[in-house]
Amino acid sequence: MLIDFLVNWLAAVPEFAVPFALAALGLLVIEKAGVLSLGAEGFMLVGALAGIGAILGLGDHPAIALAAAAAAGAALSLLFSLLVVTLRVNQVIAGLGLVFLAQGLTGLVGTTQGWVNRPIGGLSALSFGPLSELPVVGPILFRHDAVVYLTVPVFALAAWILGRSMVGLRLRAVGDGPDAADAAGVSIGLMRFGATAAGAALVGLAGGYLSVGIARIWIEGMSGGRGWIAIALVIFARWQPWRALAGAVLFGAIEALIPRVAAAGIQVPQYFVGMIPYLATLGVMIWTCTRSGSRSLEPRALGLAHAREDR
Amino acid sequence: MSEISPALHRPLPAAAATAPGRRRRGRLGVEIRQHASARLQAAALAGGLAAGIACACAILVGAGVGLADLAQEFVVSILTSPESLAAVLIQAAPLAIVGLGAAFAFRVRFWNIGLEGQMIIGAVLATAVSLADLGPEPVRLILMACAAALGGAAWMLAPVLLRLRIRLNEIISTLLLNYVALNLLLHLLYGPWRDPATSFPNSALFDASERLAEIGWQNLNWGLPLALALVLAGAWLVGGSRVGFLMRVAGDNPRMGRALGLPMTGTVLAATLLSGALAGMAGFVICAGAEHRLTQSFATGYGFSGILIAFLARNTPLGVLVAASLVGVLFVAGQSLQVFYQIPGSAVQLIQAVIVLCVAASDFFVRHRLRWIA
Amino acid sequence: MRAALDMTAVSKAFDGFRALSEASFAAYPGEVHALLGENGAGKSTLMNVAVGLYRPDAGQIRVHGTEVVIDGPRTAKRLGIGMVHQHYKLVKAFTALENILLSQGPPSYGAGLRAVEEAVRRHCEALGFALDLDRPVGLLSVAEQQRVEILKVLVEGARILVLDEPTAVLTDREAEQMLLTMRRLAEEGCAVVLVTHKLGEVKRHADRVTVMRGGRTVASADPDALSLPELTALVVGASVERERMPAKRIGDPLLRIAALAGTRADGLQVLSDATIVVRAGEIYGIAGVGGNGQTELAEILMGVRAPCAGSIELDGAGDLCRMTTRARRGLGLAAIPADRSAYALAGGLSVAENYAAGAVLSGRFGSWFRLDRRAVRAATAEAVRAFDVQGVRAPRQKASLLSGGNAQKLVVAREFADPPRVVLAHSPSRGLDVRASGAVHQRLRAARDAGAAILLISEDLDEVLLLSDRVGVMSRGRIVAEFDTPADRNAVGAAMVHHV
Repeated sequence: MLIDFLVNWLAAVPEFAVPFALAALGLLVIEKAGVLSLGAEGFMLVGALAGIGAILGLGDHPAIALAAAAAAGAALSLLFSLLVVTLRVNQVIAGLGLVFLAQGLTGLVGTTQGWVNRPIGGLSALSFGPLSELPVVGPILFRHDAVVYLTVPVFALAAWILGRSMVGLRLRAVGDGPDAADAAGVSIGLMRFGATAAGAALVGLAGGYLSVGIARIWIEGMSGGRGWIAIALVIFARWQPWRALAGAVLFGAIEALIPRVAAAGIQVPQYFVGMIPYLATLGVMIWTCTRSGSRSLEPRALGLAHAREDR
Repeated sequence: MSEISPALHRPLPAAAATAPGRRRRGRLGVEIRQHASARLQAAALAGGLAAGIACACAILVGAGVGLADLAQEFVVSILTSPESLAAVLIQAAPLAIVGLGAAFAFRVRFWNIGLEGQMIIGAVLATAVSLADLGPEPVRLILMACAAALGGAAWMLAPVLLRLRIRLNEIISTLLLNYVALNLLLHLLYGPWRDPATSFPNSALFDASERLAEIGWQNLNWGLPLALALVLAGAWLVGGSRVGFLMRVAGDNPRMGRALGLPMTGTVLAATLLSGALAGMAGFVICAGAEHRLTQSFATGYGFSGILIAFLARNTPLGVLVAASLVGVLFVAGQSLQVFYQIPGSAVQLIQAVIVLCVAASDFFVRHRLRWIA
Repeated sequence: MRAALDMTAVSKAFDGFRALSEASFAAYPGEVHALLGENGAGKSTLMNVAVGLYRPDAGQIRVHGTEVVIDGPRTAKRLGIGMVHQHYKLVKAFTALENILLSQGPPSYGAGLRAVEEAVRRHCEALGFALDLDRPVGLLSVAEQQRVEILKVLVEGARILVLDEPTAVLTDREAEQMLLTMRRLAEEGCAVVLVTHKLGEVKRHADRVTVMRGGRTVASADPDALSLPELTALVVGASVERERMPAKRIGDPLLRIAALAGTRADGLQVLSDATIVVRAGEIYGIAGVGGNGQTELAEILMGVRAPCAGSIELDGAGDLCRMTTRARRGLGLAAIPADRSAYALAGGLSVAENYAAGAVLSGRFGSWFRLDRRAVRAATAEAVRAFDVQGVRAPRQKASLLSGGNAQKLVVAREFADPPRVVLAHSPSRGLDVRASGAVHQRLRAARDAGAAILLISEDLDEVLLLSDRVGVMSRGRIVAEFDTPADRNAVGAAMVHHV
């Protein structure tokens, strides 16, 4: 009984962790370039809608749908970058405005297009033949969809680019010492536009995975605060990619647990259980803030517009 | 090793490698403007608003509403029909209160994104007073208002203390608490507080003594005078009292304030708790003034509107009044668009966001000077 | 010989303010060329134009005889122009190698890193630099960071080197070493531009000097052909008195700082066992290399940082450490902090609000319920006049629009609104021109002569020696030597660098 519960739970963790992981990684890339991205929830929402829209409009091709989700996130990020990089709008205001813009836009488009509550096939699990049939190990490790298995290589790639490539060096320089990067001839505007688009594509992909991979249906506001949790995860991870992945798995585990507690027949008021992810996020943030000493890689210029001719 | 030559042994660089043609064309220079006149600021605000409204019209026309219909809904009906005007004013009252709340927090540079959560907790406590029939009937309404204010402030307490104590980012903490408050509300409405008469997920109707009475013109209730009084009190606090002075210092450079022995922590605490209390009051005004019960989604969208209003008003109380009226028009017109043109309610949110972003972008021209350099 | 860098009639304006008007400058290979002027004279702006950070509104630039348009840092780099900025352009979280790699910009990270390391090691050997290349530069000393900057421009292949106030943050000995390095580079055939406001450096180390004043280049000459007063006259337009005026009457000890210990923001203990006694009617100057606990001492005294141990006794009032900032100020503590924008002024508020912030709790400007704006305006106007704060068109003008000198005068006006008993002055003339620092010094002396105990902390040894009645040298968080004045500059300088 307990074993069944655990296997069932652990097998669901990766699917729930992937949106957090991809979104946190995307935000991390954006923030490493010094752009404070409160618009995460917005990128996720447009990604979720674009994913469903692609499937309902172009047929049930999950790969195309996920690409559309990433593209939608990147496209919305261009508006954001125009505001905060080119026009130097306060990044908090622009980020919040963007979230509400995306909420309104996805609500309007999704409703008028009639995409609400239309079930789709979406992503299906890969089959590893006999491996998938193994007891315990099979469901936990070998019955997931392609995105789950791609997430780890994506993290490795991002960590490598950030840490061991010239592009990553320039990107981190723009976030950590824009004056120095500027004097070194790095185009701050271009780096920030690029990093924001790349990161927003990942966040959009996370949103697309929510609609195409997990829910297989679209409802208004379906990211339900996951974008905000991802922002907290980046802080918790102290801007280190692998820690972000660990945090995402933790939150995936919490989310996967929620429906299973009730299914297991434990009597807990439903809406109190619903608070858990948010309270857990708060708890994790408090823990992060009170712990000092550990090396944080928070970019020094996070949230600051760069203006060379400032005197 | 080819690309890195040791400087000390390097031959002189070859003649300059720039395109001589580029010099003649001229270019657009951007400079930080040290000082912007009030006229310029007003012009930028007006320009931003105009651009935002134009974008909003384009969106609505794209969604299938004719331009003439838009003019009818947004301008004509409100100017000509007293019912519509009353509806706008009823709508504007809680908006002004929550906008004032946002403005107080923003004045001390505290990003209170948790206005909706504070509204919910305020309304929940007010409803609790109503459901438990606390206190004698004549003062019940006052008790409800106080409970609402207390609730809103209490919901703010944790984020502000965490920010002051351990520098926990208040944007995230206040926002997360919105979801917690919403879940609490749903728990109550789907559980113990479900209306016994209809078994719909909202609270039982308030008694007559627990509602804001009508003031005798159309169906306006005492919510509007209350909002006006709060705005005036806010204007005095900001402009005429020592607290307002301290808030300006806390908003601009709290480190200086501390070095001069000014009570910066107390100022931030006061301003933010006031912000939460006002949000709670707004929740109370909606429940006791318009809906006469606690509903699931009474606060939806007010949080962002509050932020928008404070932003448009540049955190000035009197500006809040003007901005709240404008957003009130948007709310009321949005409702009729929803009913008569099947435009989803999210359009109202989209329009607000577009206006915020346009006004924020227009600030560029206040803070920068563009110059053509030949 | 052809000039390596030749700038003719360069103009540049910021938001209507003409930072450069038709400035001309020429530096030749093999020479150390000093660009001399006061703060705000336009030296850094002119050199930022040369390295492509600012684009001029008008003017011509020739590099080795060819007319060029320097439209960005990359172009400047390609032309062999490199600059060591006054505020180092280093990414603090990066190692020295990563910083150099960043500005070098090779196509590949791994190969680039190896190549840069090799080049850096060769330059280090040639110049005799010892450096830890793998530590984040934020953890290196200021002198080491400067070496990283020099290596950076050398590895880039710069033949025209601009050094912006390179000795400002160095000890005398480090500065001497720096200037030797500079000479060596010139001997190798580089054109070295030394941007400075120190006349002594110009006389001792420059082959040629160009003087700037008010955005114009006013003279270009052989420094040996000019006397110090002549140079000074060129720099400030008229000669300025800088004469020591010792205290007339020194009273009993007023402020006793005993065994004070404190930590930096990151938790490192930088102040340990600092013991200082300041008497009424004297200026006690603390000299020392920056970062030896001076900032923490100032912050603890101001009341914005709590000490770990020790006490600060004010005669007749007890231990200040146990009192709130407000109580300390009530007892007559006035503070002119070094970091004006952090602790002394709120740039977004008006001049009047900044002035009133000092006394708003006293009731002088109305009660909690009514802020007396008229009283605020009147008091501000009076103070602005009395302390000669210039550039205030109206009391409601934003404080950030004041120039450095006038902003400092506003701070002094607020702090000295009531006669102080104890004054903390931390680098009070940093970033100020000669006239403004003269005015601030004048106020400090006046307060001293009125019987206040004045604690002057400054990294500018000249300022300490000029003002102080006694000098203490601070090193590693405590006072390691004390001198009566007039003190021997060399002895004080020696105590700053090595102590037992």
